[in-house]
Amino acid sequence: MRRILALALALSLSLAACAAPAPQTRSANSGDQVTAAISIESEPEAGFDPVYGWGAGEHVHEPLIQSTLTVTMPDLTIANDLATDFSVSEDALTWRVSIRDDAYFTDEKQLTAKDVAFTYQTVKQESSVNDFTMLREVRVVDDVTLEFVLEHPYSAWPYVMSTIGIVPAHAYDAATYGQAPIGSGRYLLKQWDKGQQAIFEANPNYYGVAPKIRRLTVLFMAEEAAFLAAQAGQVDVAYTAAAYAAQAPSDYSLLVCKTVDNRGFNLPAVAPGAVTAQGVPIGNFVTADPAVRRAMNLGIDRQALIDDVLDGYGTPAYSVCDGLPWQSPQAVVFYDPQQAQQLLDEAGWVRSQDGIRVKDGVRAEFSLVYPAGDSVRQTLAAAVAAQLGTLGIAASPEGVGWDSAYDRALSQPLAWGWGAHTPMELYQLHHTQSESGLALYTPYASEAVDRYMDEALASRDLEQAYTLWQKAQWDGQGGIVQDVPWLWLVNIDHLFWVRDGLTVAEQKIQPHGHGWSILNQIDQWSWKS
Amino acid sequence: MKKRIKWIAGKLLRMGLLLFGVSVLSFLLASASPVDPLQTNIGQAALGAMSPEQITRLESYWQVGTPALERYLRWGADLLRGDWGTSLLYRRPVLAVVGERLANSAGMLACAWIFSGVLGLLLGMLAGLYREKTAGKLIHRCSLVLSALPTFWLGLVLLVVFAVWLRVLPIGLSVPAGMEASIVTGGDRLRHAILPGLTLSLSGAASITLHTREKMTEIMASDYFWFAKARGESTMLCIWRHGLRNLLLPAMTLQFACISEIIGGSLLAEQVFSYPGLGQAAVTAGLGGDFPLLLGVTMACSVLVFLGNFAADLLYGVVDPRIRKGGSAA
Repeated sequence: MRRILALALALSLSLAACAAPAPQTRSANSGDQVTAAISIESEPEAGFDPVYGWGAGEHVHEPLIQSTLTVTMPDLTIANDLATDFSVSEDALTWRVSIRDDAYFTDEKQLTAKDVAFTYQTVKQESSVNDFTMLREVRVVDDVTLEFVLEHPYSAWPYVMSTIGIVPAHAYDAATYGQAPIGSGRYLLKQWDKGQQAIFEANPNYYGVAPKIRRLTVLFMAEEAAFLAAQAGQVDVAYTAAAYAAQAPSDYSLLVCKTVDNRGFNLPAVAPGAVTAQGVPIGNFVTADPAVRRAMNLGIDRQALIDDVLDGYGTPAYSVCDGLPWQSPQAVVFYDPQQAQQLLDEAGWVRSQDGIRVKDGVRAEFSLVYPAGDSVRQTLAAAVAAQLGTLGIAASPEGVGWDSAYDRALSQPLAWGWGAHTPMELYQLHHTQSESGLALYTPYASEAVDRYMDEALASRDLEQAYTLWQKAQWDGQGGIVQDVPWLWLVNIDHLFWVRDGLTVAEQKIQPHGHGWSILNQIDQWSWKS
Repeated sequence: MKKRIKWIAGKLLRMGLLLFGVSVLSFLLASASPVDPLQTNIGQAALGAMSPEQITRLESYWQVGTPALERYLRWGADLLRGDWGTSLLYRRPVLAVVGERLANSAGMLACAWIFSGVLGLLLGMLAGLYREKTAGKLIHRCSLVLSALPTFWLGLVLLVVFAVWLRVLPIGLSVPAGMEASIVTGGDRLRHAILPGLTLSLSGAASITLHTREKMTEIMASDYFWFAKARGESTMLCIWRHGLRNLLLPAMTLQFACISEIIGGSLLAEQVFSYPGLGQAAVTAGLGGDFPLLLGVTMACSVLVFLGNFAADLLYGVVDPRIRKGGSAA
């Protein structure tokens, strides 16, 4: 559909271009103003309230209006923002954080430890998008010091502190805050025309470096509309998709942002037989064989997937956290179909007459399940199925609704999309749960992996934790890289049109979700004069 | 008079029944929808980083697992007390969201509706009158094409022509981008309503044109029309005296019936024009599993459509004395 639309648009545009040269009208935006078009879904329905998802949740981005205790740097390491220092106790349960004393809310009241405590208590009780069950209590020590007491060791805590914007205790009302937020961040919300645009202005009382861009207008537009807005020269930045990438509007260039917005299949790593408490069958005979999983990891030509499915706009994915500090460099594999075939041969999977491999009377066949309605995952499933065919594995794509997808994933590979700015994702995808003894989304269990990840969580030092997260993936003998409970395929690039003359600040590796992330460092953007 | 009151009371009762039926049906449809509100609103990737306790908490907020009947009864009981509920996505009262959205697009929708009626009627008459001439054929063919075109496609084409190529009209939104509300003028709003309004009225006008053209042809072939012409009346006078009333009836029926089409079409047009109307809220609510809001929007639309048909019923009497209720007996 999108392709047809893009094609038709291109056609009508080129017709228009033939008929008459488009007059070169440049919008008034320049100097210190930026107008950006992002997707309609990016508009925060519940308003600009960190408690109800602004800046936090699946699509983590800097909340702009509020400031956070810490921030993530372009390489996804942690730096201070409101916090001036933080440390963790011997038992790794108490995080003591000092905050700066020169931060003021836009209503000119000072931001103190009380506001921070209030914010975290509120998100713990109310958050609609974040998990704070690990937080026991927040203690205010004095105006600039506070302590977070956790239920269990949680070394990823600094990453939590980077997502929650601090709201004022004295002026927070859940019913109205989202419409008229008061924060201490780089910008203040000047106006919000619901369903169309949000206008931001530089906060004159901001404690940090004054933003270079003084005014930011964010338009919420459908993909076609955003493309046309760029064609008409009415926006400075517009999100776009690969289908449009070849048709650059004049005076715009394509900005390709690298991401960890990945797609991949889970591979059930246990043999069938068991069922869940609800009676859902667990396990798959074919993918339960580690040799099959390893062969698939080696035998998939990821670059071909990127070229065919993503029009070249993507990077090969080898883990859930490509390019993030907790990824093991050993996760990278090189496409080697010969070795893949050899692995399958050695494991006793012999080709039958129709070319499909068979072992112990079982044919190497399974479904590649994808959520119906997601065209990228559907095309990926088809392309992977075709590639597996050459290995002698008969995979058949099958679209299902999300209501049954989770259950199906316990016995058949399902196409997933992940990519978050926290190592906790690695944990949730691979660590076993106490009741079932298996990981949450795919039947997989490894004592060694569990142990490394528990140690990583209990670590008191971020650098050391990174090393332990990496060891869970590969410790020299084994790990996730060797077990392949997930077959990672691609990271999808996020694409934007940027008006010539506008310099966009260095981007963090963008997470899952194509929206606000591009504006994280909007204060550092600049126009060439 | 008594008859009239009885008739209106009957209509209101029917409206009540209709709304009840619509609410039950939309509730059933929404319950059968495979949309998992947690998946769509929180996102699979965010769920991945959550503990099972948190997921349970969120499931209760989104009422996952509450039986549909129980939810419906709770919603219905609240509604009878005048409480439309709170939108799960917007976290504001449903009535406030619906009112705000309706206020945004009501003007544009009303203009589109009136324009489509007037345009349809005029073009239809012309097409009928000049049936064999080039002008008539042209109108006929254009109408056929227009009625076959999807609304959003027409919207895109208009955008390409007027906003991208000619650059005389804005690309979308209901107010200028980046402009503060205090300095937005009525003229600005009008400029921004032109393209979505035009899109909706063009697609709405097409079917009225086609029907009016048929009726016009029929009238022009009728005995009374020929007789009037034979008496020496000019064609224009004939149409004025004998054609218009007969033409109005089918046109009006269509015009009021097409309220639903305009509302339905606005759903798609709003997406193309980034116009913050009721349609956008309906799409968000439907895809996000926001039951109270979806039902609120559906009910509001049903009331509008019903009122449209009701108005048509009333106006029939004005146009054609033969249909006048209560008057026919006299």
